Amino acid sequence: MVVDDDPDTVSILARHLQREGFVAIEAISGAECVRIAQERPVDVILLDLMMPDMDGFQVCRALKEDPRTAEIPVIMITARDDLDARAEGMRLGVSDFLAKPVFRRQLANRIRAQLDMLAAGRATEAALSQFEDKSEHNSDGEKK
Amino acid sequence: MEVAPSPVQRALIGEHPTIVKLRSLVERVARTDATVLITGESGTGKEVVARAIHSLSARLNRSFVPVNCAAIPHELLESEMFGHERGAFTGAAGARHGLFSSADGGTIFLDEISEMPLQLQVKLLRVLEDGIVRPVGSDRAAKVDARVIAASNSDLVAAVKKGAFREDLFYRLHVVPIIIPPLRERRSDIPLLIEYFLDRMRTRVPDREWTVTREAMVHLWSYDWPGNVRELENMVERLVILCEDSIIDTPLLPPNLVSGTRMTEALIPATLGERGVNLNTLVRELEGRMINEALKQTGGNKQAAARLLGLKRTTFSAKLRRCGVIASSNGREDC
Repeated sequence: MVVDDDPDTVSILARHLQREGFVAIEAISGAECVRIAQERPVDVILLDLMMPDMDGFQVCRALKEDPRTAEIPVIMITARDDLDARAEGMRLGVSDFLAKPVFRRQLANRIRAQLDMLAAGRATEAALSQFEDKSEHNSDGEKK
Repeated sequence: MEVAPSPVQRALIGEHPTIVKLRSLVERVARTDATVLITGESGTGKEVVARAIHSLSARLNRSFVPVNCAAIPHELLESEMFGHERGAFTGAAGARHGLFSSADGGTIFLDEISEMPLQLQVKLLRVLEDGIVRPVGSDRAAKVDARVIAASNSDLVAAVKKGAFREDLFYRLHVVPIIIPPLRERRSDIPLLIEYFLDRMRTRVPDREWTVTREAMVHLWSYDWPGNVRELENMVERLVILCEDSIIDTPLLPPNLVSGTRMTEALIPATLGERGVNLNTLVRELEGRMINEALKQTGGNKQAAARLLGLKRTTFSAKLRRCGVIASSNGREDC
């Protein structure tokens, strides 16, 4: 999901991501981002920091506080690349922090990295569930 | 009193949801004899995880035998692994047990399995299927009970597609896959890992105490750590040695690690060079960099940033939109 208060920026980023083979969902406010993330599955959120009403940090906090959205990786994109902004991003648990101007290949790589992480998490869950299935079906199963 | 961390907690430090799941998986798999395939970039701790599996298994009191398939010359790997008879090849003055026999009752860890030559892969597959080892130059076969944990830092699926790795062996090894993600994909664990390594240093040097400043921590968090947890561990040790007082601050960090210098440095060449340059791209890069700097100086105030650059607010906004979103179709990626 691409989140920025400037609709042109959102559509430029979304078009670029679609060309890279991603499915892009667009949101033009922090509140819209949080609502969409609660309603439908989202793999990665590209979040602009400087937005009116609800800025990127507030959005990030809202996402992390809600168990439905807490695990969605957030990549913060901002023109305000200073120490305080990075420190706050680190504190809030953002997955990555990119300073504008963002490079096309860089952006695609960072998104793929987060998707790889999701895939690793899903593979681990699948392997764990194999064990759980086995212990359910095995009457001599090991004690938990 | 604090409870000492378990081998799995020490092997996989972090609170990222994938790491938490991985710890559960490692604990579960350790209680079985299943073959395990660990995949992860260099420095992610594949051998540490393999050792944790061994130490939590019923094989705990038997040998853990690590074999780096890339470090042993191909022609020697077979005899190293399975042993040989006297006179089996030039230089084989006496009979010798292989590493599989040494791991009997224990665990054999086959690191960099993708480097194993194809003809040896066939032999390994047979050992995995019937547990019987045949030394080089011998007709006698011996039953060996070694649990196999294999590891690779490259994508074995791709190696199978290229024909460099046997598909049947891949599926035989891939019974329980353990994928350890690179550190840059779980940045939120970096501060935790730094604290863990500092704590370990504190137990070694009880009278010393170290603190990482907020600024240095941000730089350490922002860095991509191509050498993963091992690189971070070495860095923490280095910083502790370099630090004269108890404060680990930004000037102690190597320049390549200080964020902000990575992306933008060297984008604009000092000379034209034989191949020329794309002036439009360079101008956009420079505009983007200056816009970024101006916003940084003004704490994100667009009006003030426009003034700093001698631009009207509307011109600044147009440039921000054009340069500030995506800078170049040929953008570098330095990770």
